[in-house]
Amino acid sequence: MRCLGPARPRLANARFGDLATARNKGSYMATTKTTTTPLVRDLRRLLGTKRVLYAPADLLVYECDGFTIEKNRPDAVVFPQSTEEVAEIVLICNRHDVPIVARGAGTSLAGGCLPIEGGVVVMLTQMKRVVEVNTADRYAVVEAGTPNVLLDRALVGTGLHYAPDPSSATASTIGGNVATNAGGPHTLKYGVTANHVIGLEAVAADGSILRIGPAEEPPGLDLIGLIVGSEGTLAIVTKIWIKLTPNPDSFRTMRAVFESVDDATNAISDIIGAGIVPAAMELMDRGILDAVEEAFEFGFPADAEAIVVIEVDGPAAGLDRQQEQIIDFCNKHRAREVLQAATAEERTLLWKCRKLAVGAVGRLSPSYIIQDGVVPRTQLPRILRRISEISKKHDVRIVNVAHAGDGNVHPILLFDERDRDQVDRVLQASRELLSECIDCGGSVTAEHGVGVEKLHFMDRLFTSADLDAMRRVREAFNPNACFGRGKKIPDDISSGEPGGGDRAAAI
Amino acid sequence: MLPLDDVIVPDSPQSLAEVVAACHGDGTPLYTLGGQTMLGYGVWPRRPGHGLSLEKLSGVVDYAARDLTITVGAGTPLVELDSLLAEENQRLPVDVPDRDRATVGGLVATNLCGPRRYRFGTMRDYVIGFSAVDGLGATFRGGGRVVKNAAGYNMTRLMTGSLGTLGVLTEVTLMVRPMAETTAMLAADLPSLDLAAKLLAELPASKTLPAAVELLLGDVWSQQSGLEPWPPETTARLIVAFEDADPDVRWMVEQLESQWSKAGVRVMQRVGNEDAESLWKNLATTIPPGAATADNTHCVVQVGVPPGSTVDIAARLKQIDPGVAIQAHAGNGVVRGRLTAEAARLRAMLVDEIRPATEMAGGHAVVLSAPPEAELDVGGVWGPPPSGMSIMRSIKDRFDPKHLLNPGRFVFG
Repeated sequence: MRCLGPARPRLANARFGDLATARNKGSYMATTKTTTTPLVRDLRRLLGTKRVLYAPADLLVYECDGFTIEKNRPDAVVFPQSTEEVAEIVLICNRHDVPIVARGAGTSLAGGCLPIEGGVVVMLTQMKRVVEVNTADRYAVVEAGTPNVLLDRALVGTGLHYAPDPSSATASTIGGNVATNAGGPHTLKYGVTANHVIGLEAVAADGSILRIGPAEEPPGLDLIGLIVGSEGTLAIVTKIWIKLTPNPDSFRTMRAVFESVDDATNAISDIIGAGIVPAAMELMDRGILDAVEEAFEFGFPADAEAIVVIEVDGPAAGLDRQQEQIIDFCNKHRAREVLQAATAEERTLLWKCRKLAVGAVGRLSPSYIIQDGVVPRTQLPRILRRISEISKKHDVRIVNVAHAGDGNVHPILLFDERDRDQVDRVLQASRELLSECIDCGGSVTAEHGVGVEKLHFMDRLFTSADLDAMRRVREAFNPNACFGRGKKIPDDISSGEPGGGDRAAAI
Repeated sequence: MLPLDDVIVPDSPQSLAEVVAACHGDGTPLYTLGGQTMLGYGVWPRRPGHGLSLEKLSGVVDYAARDLTITVGAGTPLVELDSLLAEENQRLPVDVPDRDRATVGGLVATNLCGPRRYRFGTMRDYVIGFSAVDGLGATFRGGGRVVKNAAGYNMTRLMTGSLGTLGVLTEVTLMVRPMAETTAMLAADLPSLDLAAKLLAELPASKTLPAAVELLLGDVWSQQSGLEPWPPETTARLIVAFEDADPDVRWMVEQLESQWSKAGVRVMQRVGNEDAESLWKNLATTIPPGAATADNTHCVVQVGVPPGSTVDIAARLKQIDPGVAIQAHAGNGVVRGRLTAEAARLRAMLVDEIRPATEMAGGHAVVLSAPPEAELDVGGVWGPPPSGMSIMRSIKDRFDPKHLLNPGRFVFG
């Protein structure tokens, strides 16, 4: 194993189950005297006082992202407004030998924004300009901190859209999409973020600025391809050229109601196997429907075991036939009914139900973990059956949403974090269902990323030679290890049983 | 031609790894050989070494047809892949000349593709997993067999288009697509490039979703059979192709025909499924990208610019070399030109005229093939070092520290 530079002392991490303690620690620290360090002084010299946070109370929010099980406080949080400022920040951090974590909206679910060794969190949220919308060449240029929703708004009336549609789109940023290679329901037809990024501006570990694209086929290695999905561990992306997709001429949005999850997954598998590529094919099981119905009162049948939202899009001329084929497959698998959204409002509401489904789960239980597994599409019936068995075995309630057409499942495990026994069972169940994804020939993350959460699965998915190849890539980008140590791929601070096994438990 | 002392033909990935390890030990260069259709791509190498043939690493490893994924040996000829996929009504929609010889591994290594990239993307969008042997002889894999995967770095992207300089591919997993039901092509012969620019700019308003948008200039197309020859007053030919479900294609053809006739353009051709294959084949081979033959007298240059600059850069190329034949993947801003300039003048033409023009348009130009007498070096073929070159070098040094894999051919020199 290569050494990634001197190991930095880790600040005390909040241990799992100590979430309350972590919060208290913050407020306690806030009352203590704050001293400016040489690092903070350099950062303030660059950015002024308002764009550098270092008082412990101000740093609380930045201790974790959507993965709240492990937390750590950064030394400082900075708010650059330009690529050049980001480059200067990297130089300052290198001078002080502190690690750097880039952060957008913090909606990531795998700990990608966790300042695992402290250091400086680079907030990109003040870099949120839509710099250019080029309708002729069908691309847009955005700063990394641009929220998806702002971009969507800027595109209204152009007849074009940005295809990746993560469910967090109301808050998440395009830079965050790039970091995790985010997907969403419509990736089935339109692909993930990587299929839509045509150019990048990014700050490398030595503070130099990379500008690649947007013209196609630049000579050399595909650095864009590597940086997209690298979870901030190779470079800090500051500006993105994204491909825009023409809005479809027409849609048909259907919901198919099934008496069993098995029937639903078999129908999905048949549709894909027959070579039909809907724009989206989303499964919700009965558990999640309960929560959705309570929240939005859409009118889903109360006794349905599964609903599949299927959308086809394209020229209106071809939609009737596609729709008929899909209905035939649903009926073959005993669908109780297949209803088409009659109005644009109904379609909007149907998608709202799907996209806010995870949030609605808050009504069912005090805490939940959303998982992100992926299997070959034909294995969908098997994985959902196994999830149901695992749920029974560990007495953990699991509800399911899935980007079913891609084989991407999002089981949501419900629990009460105050009950240590429940927590243990949830962690055990999570581990088993992700292991099952691997056994099905799949992977432990399709679109949320590895972060720190999934690290301990990496040596099950990959051989040590495979991981060594990835480490070589990281070293090439990042020889001083200033970005993302302890994340994405196992290294000297993350492999083995980090945190005395707590990291492994923190699924 | 490659400076080969001999050709080694390993019969398994393991024996291939042993060969590479041995060459790493004694510092002997290795030139990977697939279908040998692209030997002229890259800088003409000088260091003598072994050829490393992948012909025995051929055939299907696993075809999960209902998952729309397939794993094959890197030496598998595309024609074999095509016929396997066709049995399940599936395909890999990437255009390549010489499908009977070109191999899957070679296609991944070069990442060259043709007209259908507009709708269906490039090899980067289809490679979801691989197995390879690095320059030290170590076997490693990347990706997996699922269509969406965020575990680890996107190593498939790194390998795709790296011209075999980071590792020798032994196995590739591809995502494939259902066969399109119907194909149609519309062609318009245009008296001026201005009209071409106008039609291209109006294309999005037609609401159609073409599979390919091709602009052809010069005598190249008339030399290829398949469509009728150009009338004398023609400056350029625009071809828009559709591949989709039958009702969609019919609707899109109507839309575009109506748009073009409003613009006063007569639609020259309309082709159904019967002729589609030969037409695609012609479009894929109009300007063969990297052929290395003894009579390789032409230089083929590929320019990448923002799509809106396609017509301008094509016109500029024609100014620079009046005899140039151009095939532009106009929707992508990828313009291939077969130059007529003599070998002795090529270098100056590239450095003083073509590259400044493309850089001004926000793009770049690489040479896909050139006569050996032109003696183009790394800068001549690949242009000035791209952004991130030091990172690229650093990756190269970690995967092939002695620079033995396809040495001299790629951007590393």
